[in-house]
Amino acid sequence: MESIIQITNLTKQFPVGTGKFTALREINLEFHRGEFTGFVGPSGSGKTTLLNIIGSLDTPTEGEVLVLGNSVAHLTHKQSAQLRNKHLGFIFQTYNLFPVYTVYENVEFALLLQHLPAAERRKAVMDALEWVGLTDKAQSKPAQLSGGEGQRVAIARAMVKRPAIMLADEPTANLDSKNSHHILQTMKQLNEELETTFLFATHDEKVMGYLRRIISLEDGRVVKDEEIMMDKITEG
Amino acid sequence: MIRFLIKGIMRDKNRSLLPILVISIGVFLTVLGSCWFKGIFTDMIDVNANFSTGHVKVMTRAYAENVDQMPNDLALLGASEFVRELNTTYPNLEWVERIHFGGLLDVPDANGETRGQGMATGWGIDFFSPGSNEPERMNIPGSIVQGALPSQPGEALISDDFARRFGISPGSPVTLFGSTMYGGMAFANFTVAGTVRFGMRALDRGAIIIDITDAQAALDMADATGEILGFFRDGQYDGEKAAAIKEAFNARYEGDPDEFAPTMLRLNDQNGLEDYLALSESISGIMIFVFVLAMSIVLWNTGLLGGLRRYNEFGIRLAMGEEKGHIYRSLITESVLIGTIGSVAGTALGLAAAFYLQEYGLDFGDAVQGGGIMMPEVFRTRVGPEAFYIGFIPGLFSMVLGNALSGIGIYKRRTSVLIKELSV
Repeated sequence: MESIIQITNLTKQFPVGTGKFTALREINLEFHRGEFTGFVGPSGSGKTTLLNIIGSLDTPTEGEVLVLGNSVAHLTHKQSAQLRNKHLGFIFQTYNLFPVYTVYENVEFALLLQHLPAAERRKAVMDALEWVGLTDKAQSKPAQLSGGEGQRVAIARAMVKRPAIMLADEPTANLDSKNSHHILQTMKQLNEELETTFLFATHDEKVMGYLRRIISLEDGRVVKDEEIMMDKITEG
Repeated sequence: MIRFLIKGIMRDKNRSLLPILVISIGVFLTVLGSCWFKGIFTDMIDVNANFSTGHVKVMTRAYAENVDQMPNDLALLGASEFVRELNTTYPNLEWVERIHFGGLLDVPDANGETRGQGMATGWGIDFFSPGSNEPERMNIPGSIVQGALPSQPGEALISDDFARRFGISPGSPVTLFGSTMYGGMAFANFTVAGTVRFGMRALDRGAIIIDITDAQAALDMADATGEILGFFRDGQYDGEKAAAIKEAFNARYEGDPDEFAPTMLRLNDQNGLEDYLALSESISGIMIFVFVLAMSIVLWNTGLLGGLRRYNEFGIRLAMGEEKGHIYRSLITESVLIGTIGSVAGTALGLAAAFYLQEYGLDFGDAVQGGGIMMPEVFRTRVGPEAFYIGFIPGLFSMVLGNALSGIGIYKRRTSVLIKELSV
């Protein structure tokens, strides 16, 4: 499989008072197209910091992170915005939909940034809504959706531009069990159909049940990196 | 993207309605205020020019020094020849003789005995010369309450308030007592042709207006006049041109030590009008400055509140790969749209109110009593071409400035904490 993310000797430190707090230490990882991988670990273990850096929202203190061949440390603000715009999708714990826009318009927004023609946008948006089973809610406002539906719209918004990499930070934290499984099944299906690489930060065991690779972090270090055998994937 | 922004503005009342209301009110007040002040100042200057100062005024030096006392004993002699000369030398001005006098107006009863008396301010103006603009200049035809304009010598107009006080009607006789040019006692009988009301307390308390030849006869001022007023033929006062004419005229008599030598004053130089003219010229600038300052602070705060409310929206847009500059520009574009809508609405409302007050005015008669400056009792707005844009530009500018200031926070946003911020 094609390698799309290479992390080499990554260390990330944050200034704290006069000293420094080391959030990530000497991380070496590689991710391939189509992975369905999760970072697990207790709070403060460095999961979100790692997602931040892979998502070019932050830069390494030491080491190198290559995302689709781009060195995150050397990207300008504009270049990192373009990388996120074209190749990366984000799903957050809270759905963060634009409240005044319809479901259709929320999903369409990502494509407006790419200046796609209207006809192409329409087809892509309807495809994305079909993936998540919300074509009938296209004209609804976010306030009219359930929590599960809101998160599915967020997934459609992230997926509509067909990014190579999806970064999901605790995507099921605000959902009940039934909706969590629904969301995870949707993401898994997209992962398989579109070969999108999914990287999760989570401590939700329901999520872990779907992952094919689990990377455990503790105090900023990778303490375990295990491939999950297909027969151990519970999928709910 | 523009359509996307417009939809957001239309649906998000907090993003649109509040700023549009703020802008509309501000623009409304600016337009109405500027028309209001323009109306007041213009009316005041016109009234003073037409009744008292002219655009320029020629008097003897001695008369000019005591002009408040209407000292006709210091009048110009050989007035008709002097007026002819002025018309030749300065043909772009219309020159007219005026005699301004004070006196006592006696109202007789049926037996010719005094029934009542009152102080009166009088004007001798040119009623009868062919082509004379004097009655129209003083808006006398429009101010007639009873009767008509004098049609022959010996007829007078008196103020309506005075006429009512003494029960005088057109056709009644009145006697003017005053002093002649040579210090003797003057009296002359007139028949009231009509009564006038100018809407200015200073004129309406007690006034008598007669033809200048009658005034010359009554005050023993044969071919003499207290004042010669010059008016630009287009009716518009031009301070710079007036200054040049004044300078040239006064230079001719610079070496003449005679106190009866003529001297010229501009409108600015009389009745303390210089300050009012300066204020009139700068009022628009002052209003725009105050408006932009106040509105920018209000809209900056509105923008900051809106920015806080939309903190998540901007965060998600950054995470989705929108550049900070693009978000900032979209915020400015929104402010241009909102500012335009608010400014158009405010301008329309302001113009509607200004046109209404231009037509009907507001009566401040009780508030404008006394004072050396003639002021109309009914204040009216005046809608000029600048009223159509004077509020629009600052309305738009302050909205954009307010959002530009509040939007700076977008540049200070750290993307490294976006996931944390967007997960709560």
